[in-house]
Formats: sequence, structure tokens, C-alpha cells
Amino acid sequence: MSANSIVFYLLALLIIGGGFMAVTSRKIFRSAVYLLFSLIGIAGLYFWMHYEFLAAVQIIVYVGGIVVLIIFSIFLTQTSSLDMPRPNLSRRLFAGLAVLCGFLLTSTLLLQHTFIPSLEPEGDTSVSAIGMKMLSVGEGGYALPFEVVSILLLAAMIGCIVIAIKAPGDK
Amino acid sequence: MGFLGEYIRTVYKSVASLLKGMKMTGYYFTHHKEIITQEYPDNRDTLILPERFRGEVVMPHTESNEHRCTGCTACELACPNGTIKIITKFEVSPEGKKKKAIDTFIYHLELCTMCNLCIVACPTDAIKMAQSFEHSVYKRADLTKVLNKPGSKLMEGVE
Amino acid sequence: MFSIEKISGVVHTWLASHLPARIALLSEFVIVGILMISLFAFLGLVLVFMERKVSAYMQIRLGPNRVGPKGIFQTLADTLKLILKEGLRPTGADKFLFNLAPYIVMMVAMLLMAPIPFARNVQIWDVNIGVLYISAISSISVIGILMAGWSSNNKYSLLGAMRSGAQIVSYELSAGLAILSIVILTGSLRVSDIVASQATGWWIFKGHIPALISFVIFIIAVTAETNRAPFDLAEAESELTAGFHTEYSGMQFALFFLAEYVNIFIVTAIGATLFLGGWMPFHIGGWEAFNHIMDFIPSSIWFFGKTFFLIFIIMWFRWTFPRLRIDQLLNLEWRYLLPIGLFNLLLMTVIGILGWHF
Repeated sequence: MSANSIVFYLLALLIIGGGFMAVTSRKIFRSAVYLLFSLIGIAGLYFWMHYEFLAAVQIIVYVGGIVVLIIFSIFLTQTSSLDMPRPNLSRRLFAGLAVLCGFLLTSTLLLQHTFIPSLEPEGDTSVSAIGMKMLSVGEGGYALPFEVVSILLLAAMIGCIVIAIKAPGDK
Repeated sequence: MGFLGEYIRTVYKSVASLLKGMKMTGYYFTHHKEIITQEYPDNRDTLILPERFRGEVVMPHTESNEHRCTGCTACELACPNGTIKIITKFEVSPEGKKKKAIDTFIYHLELCTMCNLCIVACPTDAIKMAQSFEHSVYKRADLTKVLNKPGSKLMEGVE
Repeated sequence: MFSIEKISGVVHTWLASHLPARIALLSEFVIVGILMISLFAFLGLVLVFMERKVSAYMQIRLGPNRVGPKGIFQTLADTLKLILKEGLRPTGADKFLFNLAPYIVMMVAMLLMAPIPFARNVQIWDVNIGVLYISAISSISVIGILMAGWSSNNKYSLLGAMRSGAQIVSYELSAGLAILSIVILTGSLRVSDIVASQATGWWIFKGHIPALISFVIFIIAVTAETNRAPFDLAEAESELTAGFHTEYSGMQFALFFLAEYVNIFIVTAIGATLFLGGWMPFHIGGWEAFNHIMDFIPSSIWFFGKTFFLIFIIMWFRWTFPRLRIDQLLNLEWRYLLPIGLFNLLLMTVIGILGWHF
């Protein structure tokens, strides 16, 4: 086994193990931390595949953003040091069913897809190439989705300001 | 535009005041002569204490073993926490007159707060504050001191 | 002449000629790892001592002066004490997370060392997203702090961690904008490209006033990100005893302490690389003789000199300014640094497009 595949299996273990622990842990804060490990593992996988930009974005968005947000909401809302109550049977049953369906769907997709074995990243992964593609209106450009997302973010931002702003004369 | 002008003025003012503070600390950083720390045990010989530093109460004696204390107990009465205890005796003078004098002047250093009230109260300037400060001893009893030396007498002419 | 590049080249050729390729690579990894860890230890010792001396002189004191000549072995003695101390864990603490947190903080610091150019051609990993990598990885360290604060089962720790989290998340924006303004001028995220673009002059001089403004914003933002005074309300001694590391003792505390100083080194090294040219000597376009003399000073000395200069400035801040209140802290970020940073970025883009920089 080459060093490359050893690294891959270690990362896979981190992702799957982290994900499994995140859903089975009884402490909500620990769940968040295991989720963090899982997400860091995915970022590591991107680094392993030489998609550095994607890996960095993964870390900034998911680790630095989402997980911190989750942890903050846990701190502010939950009595986070107590164990969570055990879910009742019907809930567990449906959750298991959903997981099974998801697993079957993913595995059929994986089995039907033909993988091309390659160690080099697909296409140009330099930041400038990604940036060009993001704003290009030509073939394979992402200008429209980019603008749609920016409108969505602008709307969210204005919403935040409207919620947070003080009404005039309101002390 | 009023808002923007105010904004820029605030930024300018705060930056200026921050730089002023940094100038001060920067001055101290570059001027090592300003350092006020004393390297105490090393400079024991050259140590200069401030004039008004009060270390302990002492009773000065002259070379002929005379002090100025008449045993009036004004200091004992003035002391707020019972640091001084004066035991008096009656001395018979050569002319056969009985005269009040001190037997022992007991001073409890462990109780003293160096408030200086006894020195102010003393009508004959018999006691004063010394600048010694190395008071640590192994036993608490060592802090109870007798200020008048054995065999000392009242100075002539002090009433 | 002394140069890290040549030494590493000699070691590399020796290893490659005496060992099989795979083992040579592996041993190079080990050597680099050991060098990094020793750099960590060295930085911890030197920076703590420097901080104590700087603070002493700024407060008209003498500072440590008993252990060794001028007290230079003081931090060594402190480290020995910390190693020998017992690591205590409060009852009710989450054992796993409590033990993990200092290592996360430390690992983040180690990962951040990778793209820093210590000298000419001396860099562990010249990743093509360099600056973005730094912003990404540094955002993980907040998790370690939150973890430490929560798992200690102590209100002070939790409050400190919350404050620290809010602070790091908000000041990351300003630091990011300041970094971006330099990326606009260089047109590359790769650290080696950014250094190479400053061969004719450092960006702080070449980029006019906007570069100076982003430099100031960067310094303020990283001071806040490393939780140092005047932004140290995460560990405000007078209110929260020690913030998120209240319950830590012994070596675990030492790791937090070390990580704080290593983080200062890293952020100032990044600042030196972006604004002051990294290992690039001080060059003035056209003055050939002057440039040639400057080239004689080894590049590692340039790098460490600039970095330590910035560290000194950050220490100067710490021993001059009083601590900010939480509302003042957030006001500073959201009402001053961020709008100014955004406007500055716009200005910088105009300068970059029109080619007004030198």
C-alpha cells in the first residue's frame, strides 16, 4: 500500500468516524466537535486531491463559519453540559429508514459511475482560473449562479440590518 | 456631509490620542535612566530612603547613656492600638526627693502601624521614628522591644 | 556566506545520495518537523522574555534580572517549573475535550507555519492559495478556544471563550480585507509571488496611503485575533481570572501560553511578508550600489528583523493601552475598521487597475 492510499484511508476514517460519533454522541457540544472533525477530514481530502482552493473554502465556510455558529447557538440556548434525552422508538425507526434510503441512493450512484483512476486534479485548479470561470458569461461560466447567490446574500444582509437597526427615537 | 466630517474627526482624534500614549511609553522604553526600581539586597549600602519613611519607634540615647523620656505616658495614651506600655518607678534623688522616671519602655513593633502619633504627642522629643525596615525575626516575642537601654538615666534639665 | 538555502541544499543532496529516495524524503520530513518544534520552543522562550523586558522598561521597571546574566534564563526556569507541575482537571469537566483543546490550538499554530517564507527559498509548503490557506486555518483556532472554555465546566472559562469567539469571528473580516488589498496589487495568493513582487520596494511604500491604512487595519485586527491587550477581554484578569484557560495547569496551560506567542509570531510574520517584503532586503529602485549593500545582509535576518519589529509594536500596544469594553470592541470593528477597510479595498482596486503603484 502506498503512502498516498494510507493517507486516503486515514482521512476516510476521520470523516466516517467523525460523522458516526456526531450522530451517536449524547452530548450536543461533543456532537458539534465530531462534526467539525468530519468536515476537517473532507477538507483534508480536498487537499489530498490537490483542490487547494476548495479545501480552503471548505474550512472557511464550514469550520470557521457553520460549526462556530452551531457552537454559539448551543452555548446560548441549550443546557449543553447535560445529556440529551434518548429519542423514542418511532423517531429512531424513521431516522434509520431515512439513513438506509440515503445510503442505498449514494451507493447505487457510486456503483453506476465509472471512475477514471488519476492522481492529477481535473482541469485548472489555480485560483485565477476559478475566478475567471466564476465571472465568465461564456461556455461553462458561472456568472448567473454567482449573481443569484450574491443577490440572496444581499437580501440576507439587508434583512439582518432591518432586524438589528434601532427605530428612530427608540432608546 | 456632517456625519462624514464627524466620523473622520473621531478617527483622527482617537488615533492622535493613541499615538500620544504610545509616545509616553516609547519615551520610557528608550530612557533607561528613568527606571525607579531599586535592586534592594545588592544596593543595601547605598540605599537612600525617602525622608518621611517611618520604620520603627526608637529612643535616642546620648553617649553617656542618657535619654529624654520623663515617663509622662503621653505617647502611651496617644497610641491608637496599645503599642506602647510604660512602666514607671520612683527614683529618689540625692536630695531625698521622690521623682517619677521610667523603668521599662515597652514597644510592640508587631502592633505598630507607624502612624507617628506618639512622636507628635511626646512633649520632650524623647522618641523618634527610625528608618530601619529589616524587621523580620524568627520569634514573635522578638518584636516586643524595650526602648530604654539598661542603666540609662534621664538627661539633665529635661522636665 | 551564511544562508539557510545552501545548508538545506547540502543536507538534501547528502540524504539523497546516501539513502533510498523514499527514506530520504521521510527523514527530511522528520528533520523539518524537529526544526519546527524547536523553533516553537525557541520562540516561546524568546518572546516571553522579550515581553517581560519590554513591559518592564515601558513601566519604568527592570524586569527579570536574577536568573542568568540580565535574567535571560528566566523563561527557561519558568518552563522547567511548568513541566514539573501537575496537570489538574476539574471534576465535571469533559475529559476528552478538555485534554484535546490545547492540542487543537497548538496544531493550528503548527499548520500556519507551513506557508511562511523564513528566508530566500526557505518555505515548508509554497501552496498556491497561500494567503487564503492562512485565513482558513487560522479560523480553526477559535474552535480550540471554545472547546477549552466549554469543557472546563467553569463560568469564567465559558464567558471568556464566548467573548474570544465573538472577537475572533468579527476581526477576521478586517484582517481578511487588509490581506485582500495586497492580493489585489500582487494578483496572486501564493506567498512566494507576493514576496517576489516586492523586489523593487515593499508594498507599504509602493502602495501609497491605502497600503498604509490596510497595514494599520491589519495590525489592529491581528492584535484582536490573537486576544492580546488592548483586546484581551477574553482573558481579562480582573473580570474572568484567566478566561478560557482558567482551569488549565502545568503543561496544558503551557501549550496555550506557547500557542499565544507562536500565533503572535505567525501573524506578524504574515504582516511582514505582505507589507514589509518578507525576506526581501530594503531596495530603492535605481540605487544599484545601495541595493547591493542591502543584499549582503542574509535574507533570514531581514525576515526575522521585520517580524520582531512588528512583534515589538504589538507589545507596545499591549503595555500602553487600557482594555476595551465589549461594546467598544464591536463598535471599533463594525463602525470603523470594516467600513474603512471596505473603502480602502475599493481605493486599492482603483490603484491596482490604473497601475498607480510603483
